[in-house]
Parts: sequence; structure tokens; C-alpha cells
Amino acid sequence: MNELASMERLLKKLFYLLVVLSILLGFFVKKEHSLFGWHEIPAVEAIFGGIGALLLLMAGKFLASFASKKEDFYD
Amino acid sequence: MIKPILPALIFILGAIPIPFLKGKLKQFYLLLVPVLALIDLYSLGVGTQWGIPFLGYELIFLKVDRLSLIIGYIFVLIGFLALLYSLHVKEDLQHIAAFLYMASSLGVVFSGDYFSLFVFWEIMAVTSVFLVWSQREKASLDAGFRYLLMHILGGCCLLTGIIIQVIETGTVALTPPMNGWASLLILIGFGLNTAFIPLHTWLPDAYPEGTVVGSVFLSVFTTKTGVYTLARCFSGNEILAYMGGIMAIYGVIFALLQNDIRRLISYHIVSQVGYMVAGVGVGTELGVNGGIAHVFNHILYKALLFMCTGSILYMSGKRKLTELGGLARMMPVTCITCVIASLSISGVPGFNGFVSKGMVIGSATESQKPFLELMLTLASVGTFLSFTKLCYFTFFKRNDEIKAKESPLNMQVAMILTASLCILFGVFPQILFHVLPYTPVGYHPYTFFHVIGVAQLFLVAGFVFFKARSAFSPHPWIILDFDYLYRKAFQAIAWFCRKPLNDFRLSIQALFSKAVGYIASLSRNPFSPKGGDYNENIYRNPMGLGVLLAILFLFLYGLIYLVRL
Repeated sequence: MNELASMERLLKKLFYLLVVLSILLGFFVKKEHSLFGWHEIPAVEAIFGGIGALLLLMAGKFLASFASKKEDFYD
Repeated sequence: MIKPILPALIFILGAIPIPFLKGKLKQFYLLLVPVLALIDLYSLGVGTQWGIPFLGYELIFLKVDRLSLIIGYIFVLIGFLALLYSLHVKEDLQHIAAFLYMASSLGVVFSGDYFSLFVFWEIMAVTSVFLVWSQREKASLDAGFRYLLMHILGGCCLLTGIIIQVIETGTVALTPPMNGWASLLILIGFGLNTAFIPLHTWLPDAYPEGTVVGSVFLSVFTTKTGVYTLARCFSGNEILAYMGGIMAIYGVIFALLQNDIRRLISYHIVSQVGYMVAGVGVGTELGVNGGIAHVFNHILYKALLFMCTGSILYMSGKRKLTELGGLARMMPVTCITCVIASLSISGVPGFNGFVSKGMVIGSATESQKPFLELMLTLASVGTFLSFTKLCYFTFFKRNDEIKAKESPLNMQVAMILTASLCILFGVFPQILFHVLPYTPVGYHPYTFFHVIGVAQLFLVAGFVFFKARSAFSPHPWIILDFDYLYRKAFQAIAWFCRKPLNDFRLSIQALFSKAVGYIASLSRNPFSPKGGDYNENIYRNPMGLGVLLAILFLFLYGLIYLVRL
């Protein structure tokens, strides 16, 4: 059980490391197609990922606030 | 030399012996037919055409070009894998329905005229519903009827559009329709099968209610023939591009809220088909290639997802996230293949979705559609979150109550083969690029910039998921969709027919009955007895009176005739 917990902690650390590494690499990578303004922002995909996830979460919560019903609603 | 035949005909004729075969022979036969169809497709050269004259029109049942050929290939390939997955099923009805469904889908793809396309289109709707009804539950029966009703509605729109198109152009050839009513009605007909918002409700309603095997077939054909017809007739239509964007986001938001795993992945069909529609709508070479490549890749990973969720349902009897969890140890093959399918649909580098999704988003950028690019990127984030949720709550979250074991061997082999293809086309996209409609394909998916960008997108989204895990946790609920409005509208129509319209009918009927009674009383013999016993010999008019009237009439008629002469 302890082994499993330590493995989980290790995976978590690895995950955080990858997040930080990918964001840092975003500052050094050469842009290929900068057609729109936001393409110029360094690590813009990371910003999209974070804001997008929060936006979708909020959209879901808003939708569920009036459209969620019990599972036997149509029965 | 053996001449190639209609691919649809192979499956139509192939369905006939199924009820007469049993055991290993039947299993061998079920796999042999798609192999024959694949050989047949391989022998069909681009430009092959075959048709017959009918009522002054040329009906073309076989018209082969690069677009129809690639769709034909993936239909037959996935048909083989889905049949392999279904080998343990004893019920012939499901196999026959699947064969005819595949046949009609191939019929649509290789049709060269609107008439034969429409015939196969309708056969597709009728045969596919048996894959839902075969589940033999009330929910399946009801969902099947709603599915059929929606498709009949779409079919009526399509037929009306086709008739207007034929009257206006004088030809049944499958060409982009004339602007106006023909175009609009044909677009609605195609759009219903493609799950345009808000005509999509039949999809997340019926697909989760299909049989374990049936839903795998259902996930493949109907929506993809819709995308194919759009690519054939409406490529470059800007409305389509934005409809694709709306579908991509709409499907993702609804998927994120689902508790039923099969309904969750059904909403993702709406979302992923959105990418295809967007690519076709952009209409550039990269857009159409991207849309069609996404059809190809999506068929693989979506069929795999339905195989995996079917495997879970088949072995555990459960399909709700709130009841699942901890299956990774009990069903390792299902778990690994489901993770591969999830990475593919999310568009993670190294998996097939990464290539085609990148092509579609790239086409939106290339054609100066910033809003569309943002919509499709946002949908990518949602897809990743949704499948992180699916995998976590199904396989990795602790659940000590659930009991299950790995699915039968044929199901496992089918899942492993499909997962391998997801990786193969992800690592070596050039194999797919060779058969896309426009060649050569100048798209390079594995650039450092693209890979890092996608990694950032998903890693940060994943970070948000694990930090706000409880906010994403499933709930035992359903989320009302547009079908709520349709159900209310149909209830109102049913009430209108049952009450006001029926009352009106009864009042008209009463009025006519009264009028008939009045006329009957006028035509009554004034000499008829008012009471007492009727004696025919007393009250009967003399026969001579009738003869006299007849002679008089003939005399007058003759007189008029002679005078006119």
C-alpha cells in the first residue's frame, strides 16, 4: 500500500515537472505560423489549456443548473 | 479475369446465408465477406462507373473517385474489426442488420446520382434501427422509434430537395445542388444524419441504447456518410465551417456532464463530427483532406471506444460513471485500449487524432478564420478533459464493490487490432496521406512547435482537472437537450390530434350524418305507409310506370339528338 502511495507521489511530481517544462519550452520554440495576434504570445497554448478548462467547467455548471434532471425523468 | 462488382452487393448477398450457418463456419464466413469486399475495393480503379437507364435518367450505382474510395476502405476495414468483435454473438438478426447497414452505407458512398443515394440512405436508417431494437429493452424500443422518426423526417426533406433539384436541372446526377429550396432541403437532409445542432438529438438518444455490438456499427456509418455527402455537395460552404465549430463545442460541454459512459462518447461523436464538418466547410485542400482524414481516424478510435465501453457493459453490467471504478486491474486489455482510444480522440502526439485534428485546425488558421480556430482548440481541451474523466472514474478510481473480468478473446483481439491501427496511423500518417482526396499532402504534423503547443494545451488542462477533480466528478442525473423540446412539441401535436382535431372531425361527422338523414327523408317514398304492416302488393308502384318513364326519357333523348344533328 505504501509502495502504491509513493508511486502515486512520484507520478504526480513527474506530471508537474512536465507541465512546467512544456510551459518553459513554449518560450523558446520558434513560431511557424503567426497569423493571428495571440500566436505571438509565448506559451499561449498553456494559457488556452488553463482558461479553456475553467471556461468549460463553468459552462457545464451553468448548463447543469437548469438542465439537469433525475435519471428517471422521461420514464 | 474477375470483374469488380458493387461493394454494397457483396454485403447484401452476403447477408442471405447467415441464418443457415452455425458455429465456427458462421464465424469464418462473417470475417470472409468483408475480406472479399476489401479485395473488391482494391480492384476498383478511380474512374470506374456503372449505371443503368431508368425512366429517362441515368442511375449510377458505382462511381469511384479518391473521395469515395477512402471512405469505402475505412468502412470495410472497420466492418471487419466490428464483425470480429461480434463473433461471440449468436443472434443472427444483429449480423444481418449489420451487413445490410454496411451495404447501404457503401451504396451511399458509391452512388453517382441522387436517386440511388436516397434509396440507400433510407435503407441505412431502417436497417440500423434493428441494432438498437435488438437490445430488447423498453428504453431501446422507444429510442429506436424516435431515431426512426427523426430519420424519416430528414429523409422527407432530402427527397423534397432532390425532387426540386431534378425539376430545376433535369438531371439526377450527384452534383452540388442549385441555390434555393433544393439546396436548403438537401442540406437539412444531409445535416440530420451528420448531427447538425439542433438536429443531433437522435444520436445521443439511440446510440447508448444499442446492443453491445450494435453500437459499434452505429458509431461508424450514419454520421460519416453525412460528412461524405457534405464533402461531395457542400464543400467550401462557410456556414458549414461554423456549424462544425458549434458542434465541436456543444458536444464537448454535454459530454462533460454525462454519467452514462456510452452517452458520453455519443456526445463526442457530435463533437468530433464537428471537426470534419468544419474541415469540409473551410473547403481548402487542407480542410477537405483534414476533414476526410478525421473521418478515417475517428472511425477507428470511436469504434474502439464503443468496443471498450461495450466490453465494460458486457462484463460488469454497468455503464454509469457513478457505479464504475477500479476496472484497470480486472480488465487490463479493455483499460489499455480505452486509454489509447482516449489519447487518439484527444489528439495527443503519436496517436491518429493528433494528425487529422491538426489538419482541420490548421485549415481554419490558413483560411483566416480566427474564431473557428479558437472554437476547435477549446473543443480539444474539452475532449481531453472528458476522456481524462472517463478513464479516471471507470478504471482508476477506487471501487471495491464492482466485480468483472476481461471480455471474450474475440473482443480483446478486435480492440487490440483497432488500437494498433490508431497508433499506426498516428506514427506513420503518410500511409493515410497517400489515399486522401487531394495529393500530395504538404502537411507536416510532427513539428517541434506543434508538438510542444499540444503538450502545453493538454498538460495544463490536465493540471486543472486534477486540481478541481471534485468539480468534474459524475452525478446520477441526465441533462436535458433539444429532444426535450421535440418531445414536448410531439406531445402537443398528439394532444392537438386527439382533442381539438378529433372534436372537429366528430362535429363534421355529426353534421354530415344529419344532412344525410335529412336528404334520406326527402327521398323517402311519399306513398309509403306511415304505420301498420307493409303489404308489397298494395303499396308497390306499378312496374309499367317505370317502363313508361324510361321510354319517355329515351324518346326525349332521341329527339334532342336528332335536332342537334
